Amino acid sequence: MEFRSPTVWLWLLSEALPVAKAVSFLQTPEAGGLALFMGTTRQWTDNRETRSLFYEAYEPMALAEMSHLSDEAQHRWPIRRLCLWHRLGNVPPGEISVLVGVATPHRAEAFEACRFLIDSLKCQVPIWKRETLSDGQTVWVEEGIPEPKPR
Amino acid sequence: MHETPYIRLRVLLFSVLRERIGQHELEITLPAPATGDHLLDYLAQQYPVIADYRSVIRLAVNQTYVPTSTELHEKDEIALITPVSGG
Repeated sequence: MEFRSPTVWLWLLSEALPVAKAVSFLQTPEAGGLALFMGTTRQWTDNRETRSLFYEAYEPMALAEMSHLSDEAQHRWPIRRLCLWHRLGNVPPGEISVLVGVATPHRAEAFEACRFLIDSLKCQVPIWKRETLSDGQTVWVEEGIPEPKPR
Repeated sequence: MHETPYIRLRVLLFSVLRERIGQHELEITLPAPATGDHLLDYLAQQYPVIADYRSVIRLAVNQTYVPTSTELHEKDEIALITPVSGG
């Protein structure tokens, strides 16, 4: 699913993120700073090896939440261009799973807005990841909550 | 005789709830009027995994997070949102 205006591009897609397209979308003579954050799938977390990651979304709501975050960021900072993309489905280790790009007149606000968008995305947008570990076991990552009660 | 009115609700599941229950959505009938709390109480009795996650499930109605005290209606699109882990 996708939403695209002349200044905002929100995208949920099941293939490698075309980073160069984001950069050219974000470039504008109105901006003097462009901050780009990309999250990549990590192979090692402490001693645990991840073989692959799978991302699932409640797509229409995920896009709606991304749109709220984009609106809030535009309200707080003088944003000229904004990209918020997330990859879905299987993502091998080392590939890009999320991309946040912001172009603003000056760099400080680009960094701040970019940080706000990625931090908020990770707690608000209904997207979940499932890890397949090196032993073949699969686990849904539920950051910050205790293990469910054993039964 | 007064007949209790019921409402039929469609509840979307994702991630760990979808996988452990083995369904993308549930059709639930509850006595009206029903709130998110009534729905979660009922589901927690029916599905142990929902009881496990009850304290961390957020409710979405029509693709917006809402308090669990919200009253539910037949045409609502209801979803149970376990802690998200995008990024």
